[in-house]
Amino acid sequence: MPLEIERFLHTERLPHIWCPGCGIGIITGAFLRALISLGLKRENTVVVSGIGCSSRAANYIDVGTIHSIHGRAVAVATGVKLARPDLTVVVFTGDGDGAAIGGNHLIHACRRNIDITCILFNNSIYGMTGGQFSPTMHPGDRATTAPYGQVERPFDLCRLAEAAGATFVARAIAANVRQAESLIKQGIQHHGFAFIEAMVPCPTEYGRRNKPSRAVEMLEDQRARSVTRSQAARMPAEELRGRIITGVLYKDTDAPEYLDTYAQVVAKAQATTSGKPPMREEQ
Amino acid sequence: MEQWHTHILREKGDKSSLLLQGNRACALGALDAGVRFFAGYPITPSSEIMEAMAKELPRVGGVFVQMEDEIGSICACIGAALTGELAMTATSGPGFSLMQEGIGYAIMAEAPLLIVNVMRAGPSTGRPTAPSQGDVMQARWGTHGDHPAIVLAASNVADMYRLTMAGVRFAQRFRTPVVLLSDQVVGQMRESFSPELVDRYRLTSGDFTFIPGYVRPDVVKEVGQVHVIGGSRHPHVTGLYHDETGFPTDNPEKADAFLRNLYNKVANHRDELCLYDVKNEGKGRVCIVAYGSCARSARAAWKLAEQEGLPVEVLHLYTLFPLPVEIVQKVARRVEFMVIPEMNLGQYAHEVRKMAEQWTTVVSLNKTDGNLFTPRELLDRIAELIGKYENV
Repeated sequence: MPLEIERFLHTERLPHIWCPGCGIGIITGAFLRALISLGLKRENTVVVSGIGCSSRAANYIDVGTIHSIHGRAVAVATGVKLARPDLTVVVFTGDGDGAAIGGNHLIHACRRNIDITCILFNNSIYGMTGGQFSPTMHPGDRATTAPYGQVERPFDLCRLAEAAGATFVARAIAANVRQAESLIKQGIQHHGFAFIEAMVPCPTEYGRRNKPSRAVEMLEDQRARSVTRSQAARMPAEELRGRIITGVLYKDTDAPEYLDTYAQVVAKAQATTSGKPPMREEQ
Repeated sequence: MEQWHTHILREKGDKSSLLLQGNRACALGALDAGVRFFAGYPITPSSEIMEAMAKELPRVGGVFVQMEDEIGSICACIGAALTGELAMTATSGPGFSLMQEGIGYAIMAEAPLLIVNVMRAGPSTGRPTAPSQGDVMQARWGTHGDHPAIVLAASNVADMYRLTMAGVRFAQRFRTPVVLLSDQVVGQMRESFSPELVDRYRLTSGDFTFIPGYVRPDVVKEVGQVHVIGGSRHPHVTGLYHDETGFPTDNPEKADAFLRNLYNKVANHRDELCLYDVKNEGKGRVCIVAYGSCARSARAAWKLAEQEGLPVEVLHLYTLFPLPVEIVQKVARRVEFMVIPEMNLGQYAHEVRKMAEQWTTVVSLNKTDGNLFTPRELLDRIAELIGKYENV
């Protein structure tokens, strides 16, 4: 019997490009289940992705999909949502795509609080280009461009998104697929910019140079290190080091959403200027 | 998208002209052509276009957004265009450089857009804000890879209005981004303007009757299927080489056919795309080939030449790319010299030379000091050329 999620997949495009043990498929599955349980329709749903391993998901998902430019998915999605506010717009991006080259677009979309859901697949490495370090890689970890160990400090993307103004911030792990589905669902339902960081293992490019190495070990490690927000609140800072805090980390339902505010602008412009000829040069 | 914004000047039957700035005429042309989406980033000397759109678009139910940079601006336009909205952005040199990756994607995804570049002296920050025509070749080849390009050049306020409309229409028809080049002089000066005045300038090619709801005719066979995101067909759009399904392909034959189609859909329709105007046709020994604000000097020089009895023709190009091969070669066959005044180091003169040097002597005149050519300067140079020729 075909899986339910296959209804939302271009099955003729499979097999996908992802390596064995990759976590991107797990989170993509969670997204599709969230889509189904929310009852979203193909024609009203748009996935916009950038360039990279996770962005390739747009090739397989059978909704309106835009496989856009490296780093620019959030900006393209902003155009889609502004032109068609009735659509459910979801961005698929990665840590290189969304936090390095596209970091500026990401923080400004957070600031605008436009009703888009952004799922950022974080595997701390550039997988598609062959294992270079990303801005979420931890010091000491190895990559092809950090052969002596990473020297830069990593972003905490959830804190970044929250500080930039996102009104729903959550972290999911590939090791907890039920939670991931629930978080994505809540993110899509949230009226405002929802940022979901999905921690996914990359055994091929990350694992081969670092510990733990194997796919199953990487997932087990994720699970062992993860704590919920409420658990974390009770833990001393010492104990929290190296932990992955999962769940909804921040939520604000009172902040004005961009399109709502823009609708007021339209009303104001139409009320105050009606009857006057446009474009008359002030002389 | 299909809405036809009849602007109030026309509605009222107001035939009096008004003093309008070039950039604002561009915004007006965009609104009249049905543009309902604008994303931009402030940059001198183009910001007035954006400011006018910020004010006018909400009035007509459109969307204006100021993005975080020019990359974001063009990407937001692409997103809007893929939903079927008529989108545009406006910028100047430094911003145009940032937009190049977006232009490439829009070409690949066949997303119709209008990009207005009000040129200033470059490279880099250059001279803000002296006029320049330094971005001509960037408008043609700025983004990587083999690709088609439709590039128009405005020389006055009326041009800013009607070429904006033409650009929007070409973008829709060929489903590709169109670049409208202007410069600081054309963008920021004020001239008397009225829609009636626009009609007075007749172009040799192309009609300017804009039909409401004009999206794409069936004659441009090379244009890919219209893919509207958020519609019942829920397509896939990608910047990868793709086949007719819209999905990526690695098949060498399909990849080759894809790229050639993309290129030919513009190259094969030069007759429709190439807009120009010939003054004193067939009566000159010298032809001034000019575009943008240099064409103003050229037209004034022609009038002066008539008084002084110098045999001068003017070929005023409104379309720079695709190359107006037919008209340039036609003129080249009958004149002894082609003089190309440009506010750059001869970017377009190289193109004219390629087209015309078989038949005529191509002379490139350059200025990069931020000043316009005076008609007198042009005539003196022409008199010198003809004199030299007679002495031989």
